[in-house]
Amino acid sequence: MTKRMVALGFEGSANKIGVGVVTLDGTILSNPRHTYITPPGHGFLPRETAQHHLQHVLPLVRSALHDAGVTPDQIDCLCYTKGPGMGAPLQVSAVVVRVLSQMWKKPIVGVNHCVAHIEMGRVVTGACDPVVLYVSGGNTQVIAYSEGRYRIFGETIDIAVGNCLDRFARVLTLSNDPSPGYNIEQLAKKGEQFIELPYAVKGIDVSFSGILSYIEATAVEKLKSNECTPADLCYSLQETLFAMLVEITERAMAHCDKKDVLIVGGVGCNERLQEMMRIMCSERGGNLFATDDRYCIDNGAMIAYTGLLAYAHGLSTPLEESTFTQRFRTDEVLAVWREPKESHVADGLKKDMRLQQVN
Amino acid sequence: MADLVAVPSSSSWEFSCDLEVDFKSADKATIVYTALAVDKELQPDKVKRQMTVADGKLYVHFEATEPRFLRASFSAFMDVLTLATKTIEEFGQGIFQ
Repeated sequence: MTKRMVALGFEGSANKIGVGVVTLDGTILSNPRHTYITPPGHGFLPRETAQHHLQHVLPLVRSALHDAGVTPDQIDCLCYTKGPGMGAPLQVSAVVVRVLSQMWKKPIVGVNHCVAHIEMGRVVTGACDPVVLYVSGGNTQVIAYSEGRYRIFGETIDIAVGNCLDRFARVLTLSNDPSPGYNIEQLAKKGEQFIELPYAVKGIDVSFSGILSYIEATAVEKLKSNECTPADLCYSLQETLFAMLVEITERAMAHCDKKDVLIVGGVGCNERLQEMMRIMCSERGGNLFATDDRYCIDNGAMIAYTGLLAYAHGLSTPLEESTFTQRFRTDEVLAVWREPKESHVADGLKKDMRLQQVN
Repeated sequence: MADLVAVPSSSSWEFSCDLEVDFKSADKATIVYTALAVDKELQPDKVKRQMTVADGKLYVHFEATEPRFLRASFSAFMDVLTLATKTIEEFGQGIFQ
């Protein structure tokens, strides 16, 4: 029996710091995380968020190893989020990994955060080759795999959908615990009146900043005059934003001729978004794949798993190159772990073409 | 553990300070040096940082064009230096003789 491969992964690109231990088959041995929760009405800023991560990262490493029941010598590689994300928080994971790598004599693997969400979603749900909707506080992208990379078919041209929701929660001074989006979702269930908001789909791209400005202005006015309740506004905002997301996802599906959808990222655990997407998928004869908050929301295991996939295919990051970067697009990564099957198909096609030419 | 000296000097790199950390171990000092040398200063036209290791000590020299850049860079560096050191203390048992 060959030894199972094990990775330790670090995620800290936004307001969550997480450390996870996984094996190559996607088994999660441990995945503790800690969230920086700001007071109602406030967002999280890079410097304070980094301070939070500095405080929690080492205890998390200890509990991740303890819960998984593994010792450092059983670990094959150390994975960290290279980007995208906020600079100072990203640096925390990178520094710990560089020190551990030298002490434990283990290789490092830098991981793209967006690709990690996709791979985590695929392994947890079993979705094989879906159109991916990646929706979080920092990102909004419609993605599909093609020719070695995850290609971005559509995206936001300004702020992320999660950022729009988070900032609206601040207007209503909703609690940020466990997350602003969760509290909007709960309040939206009590909404009775739909308030028409701007709807901004541009091809396969979306725009949210205008909607946010509009509802920020409208909210104060209509709430003052008792024309609607905060619940109505949450309900209307969710319906509008999610309808836009379903529309661009469907358009991408038509483009790439795929039937299944996978939703990943923090906003992906919103059950109303899942419900709307499920209806669209079933109308097209496909399936929706989604996960709950354990896997949707940033975590260390997703970084560990994606890093391990790369490592098992011969990739690692030399220590002197283990930098972090605020900008790191999904399609910059060569998803080598997905290539073999595809290239066999491509080789097969080439052979067919050659045969046809001969004939 | 640290000696700090802020010295105004000539040239446009008017503000500088020096930091000395005694790890009492060449291995530990080198690990911290290697871990922190990866991240370059974000504004090289405003702040410069030079690091050296000798006799189990890490020496860091900062130079900046304005005090605020010096302070920001130094403060950020202290955070990651502390983190690297704590990581060694916490997970380096039995590794260093």
